[in-house]
Amino acid sequence: MATLPEEIKAAMQGVIPSHVVTCARDGTPNATAISQVYYVDPEHVALSHQFFNKTVRNVRENPQALVWVISPQTFDAWDLQLEFDHAETSGLVFDALDMQIEAIASMVGLKGIFKLKSADIYRVVSVTKNVGERIPLPDIVDPGGGR
Amino acid sequence: MTAERQDTQPLREQIAKNQQTIDRLNRDLARVSNEVRIIQQITREITSTLDLDEVLGIVLRAMERVLGFNHSMILLTNLAADRLRLAASRGYEPSGVGADIALGEGVIGVVASRRKMMRMGNIGASVAYLRSVRARLEAAGEVAPGSNAATLPGLPGAQSQLALPLLVKDRLVGVLAVESPKPTAFDELDEIILGIVGNQAATAIDNARTYQMVENLSRLKRFFSPQLAEAIVTGGTDDPLKTHRREVTVVFLDLRGFTAFAETADPEEVMGVLREYHGEMGKLILAHEGTLERFTGDGMMIFFNDPVLVDDAPERAVRMAVAMRDRVAALTGRWRKRGYDLALGVGIAQGYATIGAIGFEGRWDYGAIGTVTNLAARLCGEAQPGQILLSARVASGVEDLVETEEVGVLALKGFARPVPAFNLLRLKPPA
Repeated sequence: MATLPEEIKAAMQGVIPSHVVTCARDGTPNATAISQVYYVDPEHVALSHQFFNKTVRNVRENPQALVWVISPQTFDAWDLQLEFDHAETSGLVFDALDMQIEAIASMVGLKGIFKLKSADIYRVVSVTKNVGERIPLPDIVDPGGGR
Repeated sequence: MTAERQDTQPLREQIAKNQQTIDRLNRDLARVSNEVRIIQQITREITSTLDLDEVLGIVLRAMERVLGFNHSMILLTNLAADRLRLAASRGYEPSGVGADIALGEGVIGVVASRRKMMRMGNIGASVAYLRSVRARLEAAGEVAPGSNAATLPGLPGAQSQLALPLLVKDRLVGVLAVESPKPTAFDELDEIILGIVGNQAATAIDNARTYQMVENLSRLKRFFSPQLAEAIVTGGTDDPLKTHRREVTVVFLDLRGFTAFAETADPEEVMGVLREYHGEMGKLILAHEGTLERFTGDGMMIFFNDPVLVDDAPERAVRMAVAMRDRVAALTGRWRKRGYDLALGVGIAQGYATIGAIGFEGRWDYGAIGTVTNLAARLCGEAQPGQILLSARVASGVEDLVETEEVGVLALKGFARPVPAFNLLRLKPPA
């Protein structure tokens, strides 16, 4: 088991899409982009499950997963090795994700159509920070501070 | 590098790291204690007034000056608690005040329906993603094309929103929201601080609203039915005391023979007759949803289509007038036995009037001013005992409903030209 550092929260607000890699039971790999990895507590993260897809299917057959999150402020990247633990359909984590999805869905006229099926909870197995070479940040990057 | 230095290297790194953590914690602590002081100050300010606009102003000013949120708004629930109305904002041009949203729509609407705080970043990308999902669903025929997207007040390009429900016990009072064009403008500490301010604000807003409601209610109940007064107070309709212009149907009535009666009868007798008459007329006014503008002894002026809009104002006016004539006929039967010869005269006219609060501080009346009120009064003055005189406008508006007869043109005081008038005979039997 590993513990998520405080500074990783900035990379878990969905500013820069994350990538998740899983494997089917037969070993066929699958990599996909996801909009957000949600911070649950120092030892858990959540992925939202709206549509049944390969990621959802794979982790239920083979719980190992790898995600990659990036801080929009520093471009620091982390590899998180995860293990699918369980799916929640109620409770604090589910409600928080569900509210966000409902809010956004209503903004594009998909209220009641685009819905959260479950909040998939993963245990954090390991955290590796990949500090990249510092480069001047382009203007599009949110430098943080002020609002 | 010596062996000793190699040993102490990790230790030194650890110390440096610890120092960084301590510095960060100190910074957080300084921020928190500063903000706690600010919160105490805001609390003192908002609990020192019962003026709703002032309370809202204090909260929003504090959002900007003290907490650094440049765009903030407060939305309040309506009576049914199924919609929110933007009551005050800061950092928006135009202010957007008056905009309304349904519960469950957008970040603010969902916060209201779930009664839970929500902090959301990177809204633009989420919306863009869902638009692409929508396009795919439309292509697959799973969603009808077109837009049923909610239109929401706020910054057109808001990327971050933090919204919290304003709750008093479990009752939703409204929503306090801050937003930013930056994708990650708000953090967990902002949630905590906004939560504390929000609790204080909810109570202060609720107290101010209750106070305002009681004040308005007592003011409005003098003019309107209790139901209407409550509807106005709770925001169901615009404040009718604001001056406005509207087409109304005006009914004037008084008792023929009342002056002579008042001169000869005992004062107690006069007041008794008036109370009986006012009581009966009052019931009929309420039943037809008329607005009683004033009593003057035996005279009354009632109008229709303000502040409650009705599409059958002339019809209501003539139905009420006929009911009043019937009712007074029953009363005069009794009065005659006691020796009083009284009968009702009514005049009805339709036209535009300027309506609103008339008077001075301490003595306001709700009044309508315009030719239409003069015409109704003059027609009433011309009416024979038991007669209901209609202006040409009213007569043509209700020709399918009542039988009338022309009484010719009348030369009325204040009217340059003679005015045609019609005597209302009876309601036509239902077809």
